[in-house]
Amino acid sequence: MPKLKISGLQARLLVLIILVVYNAIFTPYFWGVDNLTNILVNGSVVGIIACAMTLLLVARQIDISVGAAVGLSASVFVVVAESRSLWIGLAFGFLAALFVALVNIVSIVYFRVESIIVTLAGLIVFRGLSKVVLDGRSVTVDGFDFIGVERLNLFGLIQIPYPILIFAAVLLFFYWMMRNTKYGNQMYAIGANPGSARLTGINLEGQVAKAFILMAFAVFLAMITSVSMVGMASPTSGERLEFLALTAVILGGVGLAGGRGTVIGTLVAVLILAVVDNALVLSGVQAFWQEVARGSLLLLAVIFDQVSRKRDKSVRMEI
Amino acid sequence: MSRTPTLRTVGLTKSYGSVEALVNVSIELFSGEVVALVGDNGAGKSTLVKCVSGSIFPSSGEIFLEGKKVEFRNPGDARSAGVETVYQQLALVDTFDIPGNIYLGRELKKRGLRGLLGVLDRKAMRAAALKSIEDFGARFPDLYAAVETMSGGQRQVVAMTRGAHWGKNLLLLDEPTAALGVRESKSVLEIIEKFRNQGDKSILIISHNMDHVWQVCDRILVLRRGHLVADLRKSDTTKSDVVAYITGAHEA
Repeated sequence: MPKLKISGLQARLLVLIILVVYNAIFTPYFWGVDNLTNILVNGSVVGIIACAMTLLLVARQIDISVGAAVGLSASVFVVVAESRSLWIGLAFGFLAALFVALVNIVSIVYFRVESIIVTLAGLIVFRGLSKVVLDGRSVTVDGFDFIGVERLNLFGLIQIPYPILIFAAVLLFFYWMMRNTKYGNQMYAIGANPGSARLTGINLEGQVAKAFILMAFAVFLAMITSVSMVGMASPTSGERLEFLALTAVILGGVGLAGGRGTVIGTLVAVLILAVVDNALVLSGVQAFWQEVARGSLLLLAVIFDQVSRKRDKSVRMEI
Repeated sequence: MSRTPTLRTVGLTKSYGSVEALVNVSIELFSGEVVALVGDNGAGKSTLVKCVSGSIFPSSGEIFLEGKKVEFRNPGDARSAGVETVYQQLALVDTFDIPGNIYLGRELKKRGLRGLLGVLDRKAMRAAALKSIEDFGARFPDLYAAVETMSGGQRQVVAMTRGAHWGKNLLLLDEPTAALGVRESKSVLEIIEKFRNQGDKSILIISHNMDHVWQVCDRILVLRRGHLVADLRKSDTTKSDVVAYITGAHEA
């Protein structure tokens, strides 16, 4: 009897389709161009970060300071933009993101501290710093809402909001890079067998450092997108972004052991999270329960990762 | 007749604190030679090979390749000088296929703009890997399966093929036939033979298996407690003689 075999990615796509179909039938206002576009826009900021996070987890690294990094970059941007100009603000916002990356790289690559500990400290430090920069206020920024408000008109047929375009560009870049380049190839090797990677002459430290630099670019793009969408930065800007991005990457099939997974899996997971979020809001579920749902999804993702890895091992031993 | 040895070490010493793993070891390997390095556990075999492969840096002593003094700070240095090592733990990436493992860390990039962007030339790597696999007579059920699906013996043959593919003048093998089945051992010994027959190449093998040592090597170096205690031509000695040196029954 032929057995039905489905891959991890197919299983995730199936979950997404079931969620969409279920909500299209049972959740009022879910099915419609406006709401579906909304879901994509809301998933974009998480998605941008999740792409860079996918690369890190593939190489057995992690960055839980990303939310705070987005917060710091955003607060530096709006404060400088308030007193100087938009462009100088943007430049300083980017420098702030690079600064976070540099601190992470020095601690992880040079001092050899585990990335989870370094970035845990960073999560607190940079969040604190961004509150210092903002002096605890919320600061609005003028003339910077086109990314959040305007749409790209494609031949008069379809209008695409900019956050989706930015996410799509980031996703395509990471997909191409991780699949086709020497760098992407070596990152998979580092995650799968770090010892073998070192013995064959791969520069683990240098390659990991580059991934944190790429994360700085992602942080900057996510910052621009989210600030533009709300027109301001506050002490809570970017909060819990690390958690959402990590949930997406693990749910997307990279797992904590590294060496496998793609940004396509991450994309599907980002969409699953965005659909669940949207459906909970539309159904009028209390905000507290939404938190419970998000956290449970991360727990489920980690358990799923563990179970699928055990199953892989048992198959290997039979051979 | 004086030939320049492929590999020459002079007074190689490695100590860890007060423990001396290797004491004043001087050896020579000539091109076309297969030399076995034998000794009990802790005799210093792995330490010697690691010094030559760049994994560890000797406390004192010198290493010469083709007459030129070299100082390897890491395995990459040794590899670019043409010294290839097949580690006991194989150093394979489980999720990669055979060509991916052969070109691990030395991936080929496409020509032109795409190469500048770092794009891999998978086609070229596969073709070249395939040629080496044929040249060295290795056989695999599926070239493009992840090596994690292969048996220990097949994985050993993958690592051996990689070593033979890249080794320009010297191939170091750490226990290449330990825990292998009869067929895989044969395949490994065949690669050793074919590599040697390419001319001006030498091989240093660490092995516990005296039968395999006898089958392929020309000369045997015996280490005992960090010292080189014997340097014997295979034609001038016997297996039991070598064992006597290993156990210390023959005092040097």
